[in-house]
Amino acid sequence: MKARVVHDLDGAEPLADNVARIVAVRVAELRSFVPAAFDPADVTALHDLRIAAKRLRYVLELTGEPCVGPHAKRAVELLKELQEVLGEVHDSDEMLPLLAARGGPGVELLVARLRVHRAERFAGFVVLWPQVVGAATSCLQRDDRDGVPFLSAP
Amino acid sequence: MAKSVRIALEADRPYAEAAALVVRVRAGELFSHAGRVLDMSDIEAVHDMRVTTRRLRAALEIFEPCFPPKRFKPVLRDVKRLADALGERRDPDVRIEQLTALAKDLGVRDHDGVRTLIDTLRIEQAVGNARLAAALDDARDSNLAGRLLALSEQAR
Repeated sequence: MKARVVHDLDGAEPLADNVARIVAVRVAELRSFVPAAFDPADVTALHDLRIAAKRLRYVLELTGEPCVGPHAKRAVELLKELQEVLGEVHDSDEMLPLLAARGGPGVELLVARLRVHRAERFAGFVVLWPQVVGAATSCLQRDDRDGVPFLSAP
Repeated sequence: MAKSVRIALEADRPYAEAAALVVRVRAGELFSHAGRVLDMSDIEAVHDMRVTTRRLRAALEIFEPCFPPKRFKPVLRDVKRLADALGERRDPDVRIEQLTALAKDLGVRDHDGVRTLIDTLRIEQAVGNARLAAALDDARDSNLAGRLLALSEQAR
């Protein structure tokens, strides 16, 4: 997934002004994959959401404390948790076809277990999402936050 | 888990100055795990170097507008290549761990199918390791660390 371009970045301007622009784009990018990612079969949206979470997390890890404020720390923690949950969903999505193609003793049982594991992790994502999007939105400057509707799990 | 150096940044520091500092520090961390990374009995070294590479790549992408594109693009491309090689080596590690955990209480007979699959993944590990060795050689031969440091000095 190609990252959205952030416009109007300027090397001579303060870091915080540039970070505000980057965070605004990365939060919008993160939110753009929901509700598509609430469909457990939409593997692409889930993968893209994980990448978007990673991009936002790295910006906040590096610059959050001086440039965004105290909200950034909680957002980083939740984004990391989201990445882990979606990473396990992704690992399962990669493993299931490998197992299904192979078959053999024990493999059918593993496929069944892995499907259960994937469903549990997906449910974990749906529960976690409102907290993540709330924390991410709190990292926006007031001007960027105004008018952004709060998205919740279905 | 690879711990990165905490970089003290100030909100009012110019973006380009922050770019130079962050890329310089992250570039210095890049090869800190390289000594152990080809040891297939220590899968954490690959993970650590992969995390370090991801942090460097993220820093490059965050500060991209500060760098001259002609210098920046080949450096980012080479960091991505190294990251891809680390990923190719790491993926079978993760799958083996995942399979082993899923299969831990299977009966002996059921284990045969799983063992065959793990054997296949071990071959993928070895192939990934050979590709990673080549990628590390390329990174050293092309002086990737030096080019990253030179790039950091060109932040504007």
